Amino acid sequence: MNVRAAALTVIEAALAAVEAERGLINDLNVYPVPDGDTGTNLALTVRAVVDELRQGDEDGVPAVAAAVTKGSLMGARGNSGVILSQIVRGVCDVWSASDLLGAHEFKAALAEGASAAYRAVKEPVEGTMLTVIREMAAAAQGVPDSFALDKVLVVVEEAGRVAVEKTTDQLPALQKAGVVDAGGYGLLVLLRGVAEGLARVAAGGAGVRGATLAPRAPGAPPVTLTQPSELSRYRYCTSLLIKGECVDRDAVEAFLGRIGDSALVVGDERLVKIHVHTDDPGVVLSEVLRYGAIGEVEINDMHEQTRARDDRLGAPPEAPATVVVAVVAGEGNKRLFRELGCHAIVDGGQSMNPSAAQLLEAVETLAADEVILLPNNGNVILTAEQAAGMSRRRIAVVPTTSMPAGLAAMVAFTADDDAVGNARAMENALRGLRSAEITHAVRDSEVDGVVVRKGQAIGLVDGRLVTVADDLETVYAGVVQAFAAADAEVVTVLTALNGSPTTAARLAEVAASVAPDLEVHIYEGGQPLYPILAGAE
Amino acid sequence: MPGLTLENTAIVLDSTGDPPKGYVDTPGIFVVPLTVHFGDESYRDGVDLDHGQFFAKLQASSVLPTTSQPTVADFLAVYREVRATYDHVFSLHLSSKMSGTYGAASRAAEAVDGVDVYDTKTVTAPITLLAERLRARLAQGCSLAEARDYIAYFIANEKLLIHAATLEYLRRGGRIGRAASLVGDVFDIKPLITNVDGELAGYAKVRGLKKAFAAMERFLDENSRPDDTVYFAVIEALNDTEPAQIRELIEQARPNAEFVFATQVGAVVGTHIGPGAAAFTMIVE
Repeated sequence: MNVRAAALTVIEAALAAVEAERGLINDLNVYPVPDGDTGTNLALTVRAVVDELRQGDEDGVPAVAAAVTKGSLMGARGNSGVILSQIVRGVCDVWSASDLLGAHEFKAALAEGASAAYRAVKEPVEGTMLTVIREMAAAAQGVPDSFALDKVLVVVEEAGRVAVEKTTDQLPALQKAGVVDAGGYGLLVLLRGVAEGLARVAAGGAGVRGATLAPRAPGAPPVTLTQPSELSRYRYCTSLLIKGECVDRDAVEAFLGRIGDSALVVGDERLVKIHVHTDDPGVVLSEVLRYGAIGEVEINDMHEQTRARDDRLGAPPEAPATVVVAVVAGEGNKRLFRELGCHAIVDGGQSMNPSAAQLLEAVETLAADEVILLPNNGNVILTAEQAAGMSRRRIAVVPTTSMPAGLAAMVAFTADDDAVGNARAMENALRGLRSAEITHAVRDSEVDGVVVRKGQAIGLVDGRLVTVADDLETVYAGVVQAFAAADAEVVTVLTALNGSPTTAARLAEVAASVAPDLEVHIYEGGQPLYPILAGAE
Repeated sequence: MPGLTLENTAIVLDSTGDPPKGYVDTPGIFVVPLTVHFGDESYRDGVDLDHGQFFAKLQASSVLPTTSQPTVADFLAVYREVRATYDHVFSLHLSSKMSGTYGAASRAAEAVDGVDVYDTKTVTAPITLLAERLRARLAQGCSLAEARDYIAYFIANEKLLIHAATLEYLRRGGRIGRAASLVGDVFDIKPLITNVDGELAGYAKVRGLKKAFAAMERFLDENSRPDDTVYFAVIEALNDTEPAQIRELIEQARPNAEFVFATQVGAVVGTHIGPGAAAFTMIVE
């Protein structure tokens, strides 16, 4: 096997390794920008090396090493890709000066790779791939020269794995996200690929010895997000190649520092790769055109990438500790209960009381062990308590006697508290609550000493008749006044006004005129039999 | 060792401290802006967009704004400039659980001597209240240890209560922390939100202004005694009635209360809290 074929074997193995974990590396990527593309950037950078090696045919270490260096520089994408290209360049510089790649040369190559990477970054940050390559190189130096390359690789892999695991504690952004550094982990994956490639070459008898490393778990749990990521200050990740006669790299670097951050300027004066995060990639293009021809332009919208990564990794909402099952009549009322966090609703109402079995059935469909039952009707409380006694779950019945009372209880509901705590909070909320029912009398009668004719509107507060009149509005006004006289602050009105001349807007006007200090909220409840239900807190 | 004074000590805030208009002109006060993005347009909080301009834009815009933290380089530039004139710098920032701003400031401070960076574990006006109370000490002259002790005391004891008009913006921005399970925007519930360990958490769910004020009074009672000296500030987000009522409530309930300032949320806090909110922050000394 010639040198070019051997190099291709090794780098193709590295590419396969990084491709296999590309998704995971992307997901790990939160620093410096959570744009989720480190795996892609590393893979494309390595792919460019493979392409470059396939294009030429000149053999011999210097020519092949130069091709590898050039390919990685041309293809370098993103922060991690550009830094990788510098590691590759350092390694190849050492390799091309010696003909054979043995343990001694590999150690020197890694050291040079680490130092080239550090040189490229103006303000190095620990807890990144820089740290990982430095630790790998340092570990390699500690291996005696008598050890073979495969032994050195084992030591380097181990040191890399430890360094990768430590990155979480080195950078607040990684710690907050609970991940290892994506670039650092990507580098470890590449090293494993390289080791496997070297072993393959050794099996082919090219005189280079390598070892197969067992892939180890990176110690990173699946990445999930609890909150959307903060966006980067600058929006566009911009990288490109400048081909010129004498590119002033310092001037380019100073310019990039002024218009953005994460600036990297690498390569030699004839072929320079730049990388920057900026809001105006156009300015970058026109500025660097002064230095030469441009190519390999890559511009990514990091805000879009961050959102895409957030969408990919968004955590499902946590399961509630306590669920609520309520007996409710009327579509509007059901919607209110659901919006307030009620998990299951059993149809109810004055003339259609549910059975204990129906309540149990609703409870059993839910996953939580802690349950609150809201009967919302005096006639259902006993049934609810029966149901509670028949279930193995912890069910607390909060004895709500009306729909408005049930809603007031729901306002006090906290899904992450237990049933007992919720029941206490709900009962507190019910203290001092008054409920009113307004309906039409179905027959002539005498209620609480008052004569009521069939068809008249009647208003009951907490079960006691307080007003009788021929129209709903007058009765409603009487109920609101009764609430105001009892020092109510907030009144909830649930309407079912179909077929009635009264409207919600009219009810609001009536309340404002008879009790201007009351806060009255009116909702369409849709309950049967009662055109108006009301509660006062 | 010479003590700290207003002349030799500077305070750096980020714009989420929501300082009152003109506060940035105070000698020794420096404000590093976060950035608000409406689609492709970027605005520096408090520099390119003030409270009124932000909410006008929010109303007119079809895209929802997003926010981003200052860079390490932004902080480095400010620290270097400030250190050229001042011997010591206190850099006070919003909770690290809400933004990476504190992280960026910390990294910049590694490269500059004499800069103390703090995660205040809170957001909006409490940070400016801390700056003001610190300035009161600097005006008297104090030691570095005394200043640091006071900052630690403030961070541990400051209280913030926000009466939100809506949870929609907090939810969308994901900055709702432990208040995530709060129900809001239904049944006319307006939640009261406080901060616990640097995260927003639900304090109470109330319907109606009367109940909201009753809950505020309860909060005041839980966190101070009637004869305490309570230093406080009020904050609003497009809500011009409640701050005066809150101030009246506190001054009546706490005769020794010291009103420090009233302010409005800037563009970044406005992005996450939305219109209609009112709040107060207090520290008992």
